[in-house]
Amino acid sequence: MSRRRFLRQAATGVSLLLGASVPYGLAQLLSPEPARAPEERRHRPLPGALKDAADFSAACIGCGLCSEVCPPNCILFHEREGGEVVNTPYINPEYKGCILCGKCMQVCPTEALTETPRERVDMGIAQIDRLACYPWVDRGICGACVGICPLGERAIRFKMWNQYRPVVQQGCVGCGLCVEVCPHPSLPIRIVDRSEGTVTRHRI
Amino acid sequence: MSSSNRKPFFLWRHLNKLRWLVLSTVFAMLVILPYVHVYQNYVSAHAYDLLAPSEQRFYDLMQTLTEPLTDDPAEDLDAIKGNTWSGTFWGFKLSDPLAAAGQMAASLKVFGPFLLTALIPILATLLLGRFYCGWICPATFLYELNSNLAVWLQKLGVRTGHRHLDRRLKYVVLALGLVLSAATGAVLVAAIYPPAIIGREIYYAVALGGFGAGAVFFVGTLLFDLLVARRGFCRYLCPGGALYSLLGRYRLFRIQRIVENCNDCAKCNAVCEFGLDPLRDGFGQECNNCSACIAVCPTDAMTFRVRFTDQPDQGPGHLGRQYRKQHAGEGRS
Repeated sequence: MSRRRFLRQAATGVSLLLGASVPYGLAQLLSPEPARAPEERRHRPLPGALKDAADFSAACIGCGLCSEVCPPNCILFHEREGGEVVNTPYINPEYKGCILCGKCMQVCPTEALTETPRERVDMGIAQIDRLACYPWVDRGICGACVGICPLGERAIRFKMWNQYRPVVQQGCVGCGLCVEVCPHPSLPIRIVDRSEGTVTRHRI
Repeated sequence: MSSSNRKPFFLWRHLNKLRWLVLSTVFAMLVILPYVHVYQNYVSAHAYDLLAPSEQRFYDLMQTLTEPLTDDPAEDLDAIKGNTWSGTFWGFKLSDPLAAAGQMAASLKVFGPFLLTALIPILATLLLGRFYCGWICPATFLYELNSNLAVWLQKLGVRTGHRHLDRRLKYVVLALGLVLSAATGAVLVAAIYPPAIIGREIYYAVALGGFGAGAVFFVGTLLFDLLVARRGFCRYLCPGGALYSLLGRYRLFRIQRIVENCNDCAKCNAVCEFGLDPLRDGFGQECNNCSACIAVCPTDAMTFRVRFTDQPDQGPGHLGRQYRKQHAGEGRS
């Protein structure tokens, strides 16, 4: 194969590859926000954790005591991510929610977790997607999230008596048990930062 | 020469066995505690019928084992939790001094209650020197087995590493680790400190379903010890070892040589995991009081002394050929 022919073929291949990637890149740039939050947004802080994530990763020594006393074993670790978050704990409510027992706060040797009464824990707030939740789209009755909530009426209740549409109240501490029990495959209830509100906003 | 009858206290010869008992107990606890945690998860889930048959067998076994101790396993088995990096015993918390140092560097402030949990280890290190490295560290347990493996490999004709690096390297690693912890705002020393790695990796493997990145690092250190330098990570690189060496520089209890009993056989130098020079009184701040040299000495020439500094080089041992030749005709009592 001559050099000229080789170069021509290589140039053709590269330009085909680049040309083929244009639609993909455009789709990535122009697509609306994905329906499911990206992986790291599903990582919630532990109960009683320092408010600032950077403060938390500076204070946490990664001993794993919080997880070792957790009765439902809901505390996971950034094991392989490296960087500043390595070996620090998080909770993924889609895997398992926190039962607010407070053992992790008692056992933490550092200031990363401080003992907080369960009503004043702040792990985020539940947010409901009213375009997917079964009762909100009139696909039957459910009430699983309201039934499981450890804080009761001040955290989540039905919109009106005997109508199974859940509404999150400001008393929600974001423990994530509702996410764990939600029967809808796309999990229309999720835990988000408090500033993002209790109802998913859709841009249509 | 009346002092030639000085014998070390007879139990010190057996301290090395006690040390292995302690080491294996600590390591066994690190394996058992995650399983206890899994059992507690099953108990607090109240769903025995939903467990898989193997999980039910595990549940039954743990129930049989813990029944004499407690009738509320979900609460009572929380008594002992954690690992050597930080643990709790009946509510009493103990932490590694390096954890305290690394956390102070990362957060750039002092949190009193956490520093207090490291106080007892610090005081013990001031008295006993680098004893953590020889007596407690779960990595030491594996590293010493690794050293034994190296000896077997040598007998099979495999060449293992015996390089000597500069011991002061680990102080650089310690300083660099603390500075980088401060710079990144994360306790980075925990990521390169083998006992912390082992504690949490065993927990990850048992309770969270898989090893993390630290396991790869630890296997790397094992290979380093095998192929580059015997016990190389502890001798030359470990940041924790550097911290304890500094704390234990003026330790009160130190192993010293009784020159009258010494016959210069140099078994102590051969057995010393940290590559020190007990034969010529070269202990220094890096001795971890592991007492292996006491156990190996055939003439009872090694003993514990209460001193703040090492004896200066006492020269050749008085049972040795060189000493006897030099002092021929003086007569021995």
